[in-house]
Amino acid sequence: MASRAEGPVTGDPGARRPGGDGSGTGRSAAGRTGTTGGGLGGVGVEGLAVRQPATGRTLLSEVSFEVAPGESVAIVGESGSGKSLTVRAMLGLLPRGLEAAGRVDIDGVRVDDDPRARARQRGGVVSLLMQDPFTLLNPLRRVGRQIADGLPRGADATIEVPRLLAEVGLPGDVAGRYPFQLSGGMRQRVGLAAALAGGPRVLVADEPTTALDATTQREVLALVRRIQRERDMAFVLITHDLRLAFSTCDRVVVMYAGRIMEVGGAAAVRDEQLHPYTRALLAAEPPADRRLAVIPAVPGSVPAHDAVADRCAFVERCSLAVAECRAARPVPVAVRPGRESACLRAVELPAQPAPAPGVTPPAPVTAAPVLQVRDLRRTFAGASRPALAGVSLSIAPGEVVGVVGESGSGKTTLARCVAGLERPDAGTILLGDADCSDYGALSRTAVRQARRTAQMIFQDPYSTLNPARTIGAALAEALRADGRPAASGDVAGLLESVGLNRDMAGMRPAGLSGGERQRVAIARAIAGEPRLLICDEPVSALDVSVQAQILSLLAELRERLSMAMLFITHDLAVVRQIADRLYVLEAGRCVETGPAEQVLDTPAHPYTRALLASVPDGSPGWLG
Amino acid sequence: MRRSRSDARRSIVRRAPVSVVIALAILVAVAVATAFAPWIVPDATAQDLMLGITGPGPGHPLGTDDLGRDVLELLVAGARTAVPGALCVAAGSMLIGNLVGLPAGYLGGWVDALAMRWADLVFSLPALLVAIVVAGVLGGGYGLAIAVLVVLFAPTDTRVVRGAVLEQRHRPYVEAAQLKNLSAWRIMTRHVWPNIAPVALANVFLNFAFALVSLASLSFLGLGVPAGSPDWGRTLSDNRTQFLANPWTVIAPGLAIIATAAALNIVGDWLYERVDRRGRAR
Repeated sequence: MASRAEGPVTGDPGARRPGGDGSGTGRSAAGRTGTTGGGLGGVGVEGLAVRQPATGRTLLSEVSFEVAPGESVAIVGESGSGKSLTVRAMLGLLPRGLEAAGRVDIDGVRVDDDPRARARQRGGVVSLLMQDPFTLLNPLRRVGRQIADGLPRGADATIEVPRLLAEVGLPGDVAGRYPFQLSGGMRQRVGLAAALAGGPRVLVADEPTTALDATTQREVLALVRRIQRERDMAFVLITHDLRLAFSTCDRVVVMYAGRIMEVGGAAAVRDEQLHPYTRALLAAEPPADRRLAVIPAVPGSVPAHDAVADRCAFVERCSLAVAECRAARPVPVAVRPGRESACLRAVELPAQPAPAPGVTPPAPVTAAPVLQVRDLRRTFAGASRPALAGVSLSIAPGEVVGVVGESGSGKTTLARCVAGLERPDAGTILLGDADCSDYGALSRTAVRQARRTAQMIFQDPYSTLNPARTIGAALAEALRADGRPAASGDVAGLLESVGLNRDMAGMRPAGLSGGERQRVAIARAIAGEPRLLICDEPVSALDVSVQAQILSLLAELRERLSMAMLFITHDLAVVRQIADRLYVLEAGRCVETGPAEQVLDTPAHPYTRALLASVPDGSPGWLG
Repeated sequence: MRRSRSDARRSIVRRAPVSVVIALAILVAVAVATAFAPWIVPDATAQDLMLGITGPGPGHPLGTDDLGRDVLELLVAGARTAVPGALCVAAGSMLIGNLVGLPAGYLGGWVDALAMRWADLVFSLPALLVAIVVAGVLGGGYGLAIAVLVVLFAPTDTRVVRGAVLEQRHRPYVEAAQLKNLSAWRIMTRHVWPNIAPVALANVFLNFAFALVSLASLSFLGLGVPAGSPDWGRTLSDNRTQFLANPWTVIAPGLAIIATAAALNIVGDWLYERVDRRGRAR
């Protein structure tokens, strides 16, 4: 269409110029009429469905939404909701073996039945910003050349590349560097510059900041948002984080089990959710400003699309479900102007409960510590700076101590040193009365004693269990190793203590969801009732609703077994819910410590304040 | 239960690609020949010097060799010598590979250094040349040829197993097992090994094919089975001067070696993918 003939570089100079804040809208509106011609710009998706012909499964269906030019829309959902598939089908980027049906218009052109129109648009009218900045760039090519690849034919790379780099806030000399010389945030900026090179009218971002640190996430999102407004692009953001969606986008589309549950303006949905799923999702996200007595977890997990084809997808987990919810499949209908909900009872939903008040964490314990770490140091071979540069901490029996920091702050190294998976260069680790600074120098009995005192759970639920062994075998082995005779009822009891069905003993990990796997890992760790549980980011790989379940389980186990915890996380909202005391690590040093509420309510160190500010609060002003 | 299982198995074969079905058929034929050669062709080595060498004709589909022996019967009888030897080599080298590679990868340190220097040493020797020299010096013989090949093949298996172990070594499930204070032996055998077994299995198939060819080469050079014995490599070697009189005396055993080796590789790859996928997905 017209957009192609004009060429984005020459066609719309106003919108391309960096730093043109404020006056950008008028110019780019003119550019928009130029590119869309008579038809409607932006994105229109109608009745989209994705099927897998080989198995006859349907993965998503009846997905319809539109994004006007200059509008930003977030597609929000947990894993398995079909949010990524929707966008891949929209862009014609489905993996092999999947087929899409339904109508897709992009920038005024119907593309779903026209592969050549898609090919023409790709890299030009439409651009995709990928998730992982660490793999999206070719490690062997200089950054400038990779950006230049996306420029339209005839554009002068020596002018355009520095201009694009300036637009994403990077100095021009970055063009001559290789990706490994850049930080994650810089790489994602380069990725954005490359995505902008073709002068897109539609920008799609698939979880662009999940691989980045919280503070970097905020900067990158603010940048994307600013450029989107300046260039007046239609913007589609895929995210699992509802609050992030509220802060970044004009409208949100909430998906669940391959269907749309609710659509509405960001502010309107934030203030009042017209679908129980959206409510549950938002409630399950822990607040950073207070500690809840109970995090409202959603029981169960996301079903497959076909398992709920004839009823409301959320009915099994919904506390407001009635018989009609199972009788037919509800479709999203307009409840009021601009608001759609797929809930039959959307208009009669009870008033939203007031936000739960915060509770005060238990008073500090003053018994002999179960763990004492003094001046721990560790430098990895070839690293420019130490991973741990003298960290000290102590944990009293039954106390939960949170260690927070961004990647590279040394928090995981600390956990691994305490567990004996890593040997510190210097410093002391006392588990109870035993000196466990160097596990290699301990006698067999001493190691056994240390292992019984401290156990660990890991971040990735998918590799934490041996794929070749059944759950029952893994737990029976753990019981035996901890010196408890593994009678047949013990494994079942252990499974039930972490909220799993005793029938699961015969299953292998591959048949379990991420949350279930993490429960099994917890069961394995607590088999011998350790006095200290080391938790290395135990919920960061899980969906929000499952995260709340696991946090509740950990809180319950702590009560029941009066177990102390060393809780490693980057998420201040999570740590607020569970930790009694906090240590904030920055670059291998502890910059702040104190009771959790004190550190989070009145942070003293600027780094702590920066971390706190990077937690999405759902307000439009969050991006600054 | 039994029935549903056999149904499932049949549907697996039906779903397999054509190349795999053909390869499986070849392997079944070879296996049958290996197991039952003395009953299928009881007098394969019976000579008929009056007949001498002839081309394909009635009674002798692939003709006869210069001693008047039927080439097809020799081929069937030859499987009994060629296949078990290769099997011994593949199994033996995998056994050594696992026994050395597993601790080398898991324990690291001096165990690893020692194992890898041994592997480097063997790698640096020209394999077939060493086999020829050793077999020549010690007087040859089938058993010796097998033993030499096992020693020469084992370093490859050791490296493959070690590499696979290194990949698993720092997975959280291994570290969790360490935290449970399980013995290194138990972690190696019960936790790590089941996860690398598909790789080891695939390598057995590869080695089997390679050993088949190597043993045939040794026999061809006269260092394996004695002259005149029914063995694919030996038959090929004995008759190479007769190529013009009856080309099948040379082509048929050659084809048998190539077809069996290729079929093994195809089936091995297919099996590896299936086993590996099952471990991941189900």
